[in-house]
Amino acid sequence: MAAVPEGDKSGATMADRGTLERIVFLEGELLDGKRYEEWLDLYTDDAIYWVPAMPGQKSPENHVSLFYDDKHTMLARVTRLRHPEIHAQLPASRTCRIITNVAVEDAAGNAESLDVTSSHMIVEYRPGSEQRIFAGRCRHTLRRDGGRWRIARKRFDLINCDSAFAALTVPL
Amino acid sequence: MNAYSPSDLKALVEEERIHRKAFVDPDIFQMEMERIFHRSWVYVGHVSQVPQPGDFFSTRIGRQPVLMVRHTDNSVRVLYNRCAHRGARVVNEECGNAKRFQCMYHGWVYRTDGTLAGLPMQADESVDGFDFSNPDLGMRPVAQVDQIHGFVFANISPDGPGLLDYIGEARHAMDEFVAAAPDGEVELAGGCHRYEYKGNWKHQLENLTDTYHVIATHASTVDPDGKQFKRRSGTDGAEARFYDDKKQPVILDIGVSVYPHGHSSTESMFPEAQTGGIWEEYRRILAEKRGPERADELLKQKIHNLTIFPTFDLLVVQNAIRVIYPIAVDRTEVRIYPIRMKGAPEAVFREQVQYVNLTHSASSFVQTDDLEAFDRIQVGLATEAQDWVLATRGRKRERFDNRGVGHGNKTTEIGLRYLHRHWLEMMCAE
Repeated sequence: MAAVPEGDKSGATMADRGTLERIVFLEGELLDGKRYEEWLDLYTDDAIYWVPAMPGQKSPENHVSLFYDDKHTMLARVTRLRHPEIHAQLPASRTCRIITNVAVEDAAGNAESLDVTSSHMIVEYRPGSEQRIFAGRCRHTLRRDGGRWRIARKRFDLINCDSAFAALTVPL
Repeated sequence: MNAYSPSDLKALVEEERIHRKAFVDPDIFQMEMERIFHRSWVYVGHVSQVPQPGDFFSTRIGRQPVLMVRHTDNSVRVLYNRCAHRGARVVNEECGNAKRFQCMYHGWVYRTDGTLAGLPMQADESVDGFDFSNPDLGMRPVAQVDQIHGFVFANISPDGPGLLDYIGEARHAMDEFVAAAPDGEVELAGGCHRYEYKGNWKHQLENLTDTYHVIATHASTVDPDGKQFKRRSGTDGAEARFYDDKKQPVILDIGVSVYPHGHSSTESMFPEAQTGGIWEEYRRILAEKRGPERADELLKQKIHNLTIFPTFDLLVVQNAIRVIYPIAVDRTEVRIYPIRMKGAPEAVFREQVQYVNLTHSASSFVQTDDLEAFDRIQVGLATEAQDWVLATRGRKRERFDNRGVGHGNKTTEIGLRYLHRHWLEMMCAE
């Protein structure tokens, strides 16, 4: 559990902070477990899932992104991942990730919305292909939504975000 | 000494089929570099990537590193990115601005036109009599450079037709595309998508003119209502129809045109006039410049994409270009650059940037399955018991006009046939 920083005025309790960290870990578990419907449910209806294509990218609107999905697009992605003829996932990828260096930040200055930053290393193996590693820093913005914390925004900055990629069929 | 004589090469391309060796033999790849990539007009970049003197963009033609740079006289040059002294790549960044280019190894310094400006310890007797204007002591320019609508192409060979003759009748679709920009100009903006696959570069090139693969390859993109996801906002939303109400596959009647020198274009899946949302403002602005009838015509997008052999593709429907970079016989990188239609509402650009994430990124709903196909083709073509890949479809329906422009309808493979015909012509030229 993250220590509450000196002078913190967010009003977020230690219990909240523990919950927020657990959501970030849970998200990783759901993605690795291909439990995509439960993964979607972690996100608010107005959520944004963003993986920039440029280091330090300022905006997803005037520059391309590896992923820049609203909830509708996230759902379309999951629907496609469940489609029997998604050739790029036959056979399917297997992933395992390590999430560490987790810190809770009070970016918005209130207890209704808090940011959690974390470092991720994801290993992907798809039978017949070479194993790949994705690494980067992640920022989750979590918001109180109907009595529970949900992910309103995820930004994942891959260290190699501006390289050429083989197909990125599963969300990171 | 080439591993293939002209008669060996001619045995690789028949009217309706292509030999597997064209895709898997490293000797063929080496010959392609020499005979296609060093003798054709190859896309280098767009002038909007180098707006100011000293701006540069580092890229390659075939396997050779080149630098597109705007010189102090405002002209756009293409130089080999190689130090005259000991051969190191001079400019190591992909883009930026510089007054001079300095090699990191011994410090030789070049002007933005490639001429040698100076070198360390210049007073030393060993460089007495050095002729600084000798091009062999500079970063050499590529033999031919020209541009169309700001798209810069270069030809390593000094011979052959000029760029506009090379593009020929295919330029009509480019002209129409640029005319849809209210200012009559386009620029690259919004970075680029990069994807790679373990397959031959021609798999991607063929795919650009192949309207037959869509139903099978992209099955997972089709919603239960038989339509694909939206490709833009507005009333029509550009949702491609794959199946009719009875769940029968619709034979997509997407025509393909072929032009001399291996170019091709495919008809749009979304030829309806674009209306609603941001398109109304766009139409109003365009109508002011071109008149209402012409504006309607230009916003219809009759062409889906236009491919200029060997590596350039104008994605008319997505306002983007796609560029193919062969790396090895079985490895290829592809980049997608969004285009801003100058004078159109900024919302049009922003929207297209976001939709291109869905259609053409490495994570795209569409591209991922194409990449899977390219990888599997390369693996499958290792089969020695079967030599041929087939491009027979629509052979009997194709027809040509008196300008040498050919046309086929209904998921024809005419584009494959004619790109390989041009490929063979280039490969056989001594």
